[in-house]
Amino acid sequence: MHAVRIMWRVTCLNFRAQMEYRSEFLLMIAIGAIWQVSVIVFATVLLTRFTGMGGWDSSDVLLIPATRMLAHGLFVLFLGRMHGLGRHIQEGRIDIYLVRPMPVHRQVQLQYFPTNAIGDLTVAAGLMVGALARSDLDWTAGRITYLIVAILGGLLLEAALFTVVASASLRFPAADYWGIWLEELLGTFGSYPLNVLPRAVGGFLTFGLPLAFVAYFPAAVLTGHDTAVPYWLAAASPLLGVLAYLGSRLLWRWSLRHYAGVNG
Amino acid sequence: MAVLHAWRAARVTPLGELHAPPRMTAVLLRLTVQVVLVASLWRGLYAHTGTTAGLDRGQAVTYAVLAVLASRLRELDQFAGRDTVIQHMHYGTIVYWYLRPLPPQRYYALRALGEQLYGFAWALAGYAVCLAAGVVEPPRSAAVAGVFAVSLLLGQWVLYYIMLLTDQWCFWALRNNAAVMILIFAQNLLSGVYAPLWFFPDWFVTLSVFMPFQATLSVPLSLYIGRIPLSDAAGQLAIQAAWVVVLALFTRFLWRRAARRVISQGG
Amino acid sequence: MSVSIEVRGLSRTFHTTVRRPGLAGALRSLVNPERAVKHAVSDVTFSVAAGELLALLGPNGAGKSTTIKMLTGILTPTSGEARVAGVVPYRERERNARNIGAVFGQRTQLWWDLPVRESFAILRDIYEVPKAEHTARLKEFDDILDLSAFWDTRVRHLSLGQRVRCDLAAALLHDPPVVFLDEPTIGMDVVVKEQVREFLRHQVEERGRTVLLTTHDMTEVERLAERVVLINHGRLVLDGTLDEIRRKFGSTWQVRATLADAHTEVAALPGIAVLRQDGPQVVFGPDGPDAPTVHQALKQVIERYEVSGVAIDEADLEDVMRTAYVQAGAV
Repeated sequence: MHAVRIMWRVTCLNFRAQMEYRSEFLLMIAIGAIWQVSVIVFATVLLTRFTGMGGWDSSDVLLIPATRMLAHGLFVLFLGRMHGLGRHIQEGRIDIYLVRPMPVHRQVQLQYFPTNAIGDLTVAAGLMVGALARSDLDWTAGRITYLIVAILGGLLLEAALFTVVASASLRFPAADYWGIWLEELLGTFGSYPLNVLPRAVGGFLTFGLPLAFVAYFPAAVLTGHDTAVPYWLAAASPLLGVLAYLGSRLLWRWSLRHYAGVNG
Repeated sequence: MAVLHAWRAARVTPLGELHAPPRMTAVLLRLTVQVVLVASLWRGLYAHTGTTAGLDRGQAVTYAVLAVLASRLRELDQFAGRDTVIQHMHYGTIVYWYLRPLPPQRYYALRALGEQLYGFAWALAGYAVCLAAGVVEPPRSAAVAGVFAVSLLLGQWVLYYIMLLTDQWCFWALRNNAAVMILIFAQNLLSGVYAPLWFFPDWFVTLSVFMPFQATLSVPLSLYIGRIPLSDAAGQLAIQAAWVVVLALFTRFLWRRAARRVISQGG
Repeated sequence: MSVSIEVRGLSRTFHTTVRRPGLAGALRSLVNPERAVKHAVSDVTFSVAAGELLALLGPNGAGKSTTIKMLTGILTPTSGEARVAGVVPYRERERNARNIGAVFGQRTQLWWDLPVRESFAILRDIYEVPKAEHTARLKEFDDILDLSAFWDTRVRHLSLGQRVRCDLAAALLHDPPVVFLDEPTIGMDVVVKEQVREFLRHQVEERGRTVLLTTHDMTEVERLAERVVLINHGRLVLDGTLDEIRRKFGSTWQVRATLADAHTEVAALPGIAVLRQDGPQVVFGPDGPDAPTVHQALKQVIERYEVSGVAIDEADLEDVMRTAYVQAGAV
């Protein structure tokens, strides 16, 4: 209870801190608006140009970016501070966190308020509404539950990937570079049916960088499309997200124990 | 002597990279994977489509791969070198820029030039490999190649000013996260890194005509793949050049205001 | 001796935005910010001769850094005038830049990602220093500061002491006649501090550079500076020697004497008061503004009374400065 109260208070403070920088705060809101228009334009552009992409109807395909973006928006809101942590580590912030009586991970998450997440989530929700409206599927309680679970799983999987990068940043300052790339990959390749890609490339995005489990597999399960992996594996995507996240938190704890400090 | 300091300032970034081999390996790996991914994606997308938005498969793949290579030109992590305006403002070291007999704007320009040339070496090497591997098509004629080169130069020039603007923003805002985010996003979307602008609805294309972003990448790449015919090239180059002039004047004005601000606030 | 730094009636005012407390206050500040005025430096006048080392002292926030910024040309004064080596710094910033070197505490001007020597090379070209001269000067600096042990290391891997030594060298590579050092030894260990002091002494005595130094380390002041300027709340409180400061604020000495004859009648001497008497033990202290120094007082006590033992307690410079800061603050 105490922890929740502290988190709430710090979050309120962070929100105020965001408003201290007037132009920055207003710009962040503007970002939401720009993002909104352009992402929807972008998603619809490709979907209308390339109908029947990978054997998917455009109404089905829309479910992939919608799931991905909603998961991403929630990630930014709740756990997004893991991304770009390397810079703070280089500035010695972790050393400060380590001497405070609160878990380091929680302090990292309470660093600042993600104003832009509001924009992200608005777009994502809009896209999801659009996708559901165009969908011909029968939205039973089971399907809806699975969709919600899949979104949460996607959130955790994305969080897991960034937590791994953050753990690496504790030791290698250059790891931040991989975080930037990871975000780019998730953004660009997370929104397509991956069966349009050659098998080897699709395999890489499934088993190398498990991007397929964020939105593609859950959407395939919902719409009844075949994927390159067995049905049970695709269906277990949310569970994998949970496992990956737990694993990444263990890695984070291990890395923190082996944290040797930064120079300067 | 002026040549000497130019050379020194310009080589800061490449030298920093050479002193950090893991960073270079990372760049190589990322570039390779990104090219493979992008090429396969566009081939996959075109599997059941012949020509759309005036682009056939070869053109679209060439465009996308060149966009990946070109984005290498100037996306180095200056943060690692702690030599961005935002970091100098944060650490208070911006005062040293104003304590030297080299004007800050010239130092900044020289640093950027070195960075661009270094990135260009990477892009050129990547281009050579892709050309040899048949991933990208060669330019259709020597004239196209020439116009493309000029247009690419102008495009990078415009990009330099756009990036300068986000840095200059820091002199007033002390933070530029939002500005940089908008910029990166607008740059990627409106310059056609995500997808060629030709795929977008007409109103969107019209809108982007009034912004400098498409001058950075979309125009040179469209010239290269022949989506903009040579007969239209002169007009496009003129628009690019106009952006260079406008942005040059505007950023110059901002440098002057920035200096006045540093001098009134003390950095 | 010619004057190297001249400051006359220098003032600087800042306008800041006041943030209102609370969430509602933050929202109101967002819409309607409230302004406040702060006088960082008010009417400060002093001068430094060529080849002199002057310590600019004062508590935190007294206006020392603001003064230095105006003298380096980074900040324009609201009113008043300053000349550094004949140049008005804020009017001809680039010309002034060639005449001065500066180190701002722990802020480094070195390039983070490059070996230190690369930074030196960049600066050499920026300041257009001939190669032979550069090499010779680097050799000279290396002899005192031991730079060569780590100058091929990248700056991000240097310790604080190493980095500040490199920063000092970087600031002096172009042979500036005037040097500004804003708390150069902050956070350094005693060995490095001594090295830096020796370096500074050498630069002043052998090379004839003018140095304006701010510091909170009184040992440093005692070892390096003959003259100090004390400012507080942006105003000049004192311009003089260390002895003068001691005399003005350090009147906290005590002379404890043991009288040979316990029944001697003890009376106050000119400027000297009897603080306590307990049998043969008498404690004398300063009295009034014209109190003598502890040494003069000791002499007078011994001349006037027959004593069998004597001890003196003198406030050290830290105590003197504490008194000075507090008294000057109260004015």
